[in-house]
Amino acid sequence: MSDAIENFIGPATELPWLWAGLAAYALATFIAVVGVIRTQGRAVGAMAVSRSHEKLVLMIVATGVALIAIALAERWVRIGHGPFVNLFELLMSQLFSLGLVFTLVYWRMPVLRPSAVVALPLMGVLGGWVLALQPIDTPLPPTYHNDWLWAHVGLGKIFLALSLMGTGLAGVILLRHTQRFAAWFRQMPADEVLDGLAWRFMLLAFIFHSLMLTAGAVWAQDAWGRYWAWDALETSSFLNWLLLGASIHARLTYRIPIRVGAIAIIAVFIFAFITYFGTPFYSEAAHKGVI
Amino acid sequence: MILKIHALGSVRLALLGMVLLAIGAALSYNNPVSTPVWVLVVPLAFLAINLLAAIATNPRINRRGGLLVFHIGLLAIIVLAGIGRLTHLDAQLEITEGSAFSPQDLTEVNKGPFHFGALDQIAFVQGSYTVEYAAGMVRGLTHSQVLMPDERGRLVTKVVGDDRPLVLEGYRFYTTFNKGFAPVLTWLPDPAIAPGIALPSMHTEVRVPRAQDAQERPASVQSAAPGEAITGTVHMPSYPLFEYKQDSAWTPPGGKEIKLWLRLKTGLREDAPWVLDGKDASGVLVVNAGARRVELQPGETVQLEGGRLRFERLTSWMGYKVFYDPTLHWLFVSAMVAIIGLGTHFWSRFGVRLPHTPAPSTGAGLKAAPASEISGGRGL
Ligand code: HEM
Repeated sequence: MSDAIENFIGPATELPWLWAGLAAYALATFIAVVGVIRTQGRAVGAMAVSRSHEKLVLMIVATGVALIAIALAERWVRIGHGPFVNLFELLMSQLFSLGLVFTLVYWRMPVLRPSAVVALPLMGVLGGWVLALQPIDTPLPPTYHNDWLWAHVGLGKIFLALSLMGTGLAGVILLRHTQRFAAWFRQMPADEVLDGLAWRFMLLAFIFHSLMLTAGAVWAQDAWGRYWAWDALETSSFLNWLLLGASIHARLTYRIPIRVGAIAIIAVFIFAFITYFGTPFYSEAAHKGVI
Repeated sequence: MILKIHALGSVRLALLGMVLLAIGAALSYNNPVSTPVWVLVVPLAFLAINLLAAIATNPRINRRGGLLVFHIGLLAIIVLAGIGRLTHLDAQLEITEGSAFSPQDLTEVNKGPFHFGALDQIAFVQGSYTVEYAAGMVRGLTHSQVLMPDERGRLVTKVVGDDRPLVLEGYRFYTTFNKGFAPVLTWLPDPAIAPGIALPSMHTEVRVPRAQDAQERPASVQSAAPGEAITGTVHMPSYPLFEYKQDSAWTPPGGKEIKLWLRLKTGLREDAPWVLDGKDASGVLVVNAGARRVELQPGETVQLEGGRLRFERLTSWMGYKVFYDPTLHWLFVSAMVAIIGLGTHFWSRFGVRLPHTPAPSTGAGLKAAPASEISGGRGL
């Protein structure tokens, strides 16, 4: 590493890996958008040929995930604890887990690949945000030496990633009805199919959200001597869980229009986004009793 | 009748209940004292009745095993949480090193009307403790020793702290940031005035600033017959949070108020890692009584109005949060059973099949492939 870079990054040796990972995500987003634009209007049969860009997207995102994994490992070794405490490391680890789940789904479910043009820019928001933060080290609070923390954090990450996949599809459902983007998603199945798929992701997300709440309650009981106390994160994530549960029921009971359902999915994702990344701003510590 | 129950179990009512619960949850954020518990109890009771009616009458739930298990699990959670609030106990405890737990020492006790725990069966003695601090006074791990009798009556030592509570008779004792030092004092009343004085009860109220609020807490003073010496401790404010303020006041039986100030040497460092350990700490007790100001080393005595005060030695105290809820394990089991039920429902609906083949549409909203082929249809 040159002296200039070394001076610039200081002790935070994970930064170059993180930047490289983010660059890969950005490149993959660009190729995904170009690919969707280029395939628009093509005959359905020509799809296999014109979708070569998807392989590229898959490879580049997978590379990005690997680079961010190295960044996480580098930081872990450097500061001696996992990415569980401050916003910089929370964003970084979300970029890893969202990228990983995205890659797996993108690989295994070709049918929804064009929705990457919605999902990847959403990850880009986190990427831009992490760049604006200092890679400072916050000591691990004493109650974070607990196995349930792993379960809680891991399950929450799966929930967010599955909601992101649902949101990608919901975004397609809404976008394809606008004049500007109508042609982009011609290759994708009909709205009814996307709707079914999106809600399948959301039901799975709901299962992981329920698991996250349970693991979190067990950890809270160990850590702070109470399983539930309506702190900022607990209140916000419970409301998020209720919103998703209510949306699932409303959809089954009222047969709400597909596009309204899509808006509900996006609302759940935005709520989750605020829960995960907004609470540090309106609460002194993420969880009450952390300090 | 069945029709009525069916209506009671409608999903529309469930949605209403969820909206009410969301409002209750939002109002409960940060547990404001002005919010009554009813904002949660009413929607939860409403949802429980609604759920029970739906489970009994709605074939869309009760004919589908996984979904049925999930909703029964939700109902169990609501019921158990209610039982938990009626039987729980929450309290704070400050216990001096070397002394045995007594239920009377609990403060800020908050318990449900049906709390019937075996508090008086709990036997343990507080040992010493250490607390690690990183540079910048960031608190790390707490290791608090407690001594308990084993089955054969021998004392065994256990180390608890942070997320490893001491669990006895279902009561969970969690160490807190609230801990500090205490001078062990002996009060020897002057023989001339002692016989006529009725000594106060075991616990003499002494005003001590708390870490978080300004409530009173007791200094433990061991009982004695009139005229006899009494020995006890005065808990100084939480350390190192109130490192600058290690003072308190105590009025001995038959004497006048004595102001106590502890000048501590603990090795505290702000710029480097450090361990708070009572064994490494020493202190000088500064006694202010009326116009007199005396500094006492451990073992030294001062003659004051009404008697003599001896500073025996320095000791420490640990603050615990005490929690009891007999439903904890059942809540966990219910949540897991519910989630496994929902997982089974998901699995039986969709299995592991993933749609590999793209089913393209020829235009937005036009169905090119039957939805059911890929997604299992709208009923998803
Ligand atoms: C309290 C009263 C409740 C009632 C009466 C009720 C009723 C129902 C019914 C009838 C179904 C089947 C719908 C269908 O497949 O057509 C269902 C499904 C479901 N319910 Fe509830 N429910 C209640 C509470 C809840 C709550 C509080 C949650 C979580 C927030 C929840 C989560 C779910 C989920 C995830 C499904 C599965 C939907 C699917 O298969 O996609 N339920 N509920």
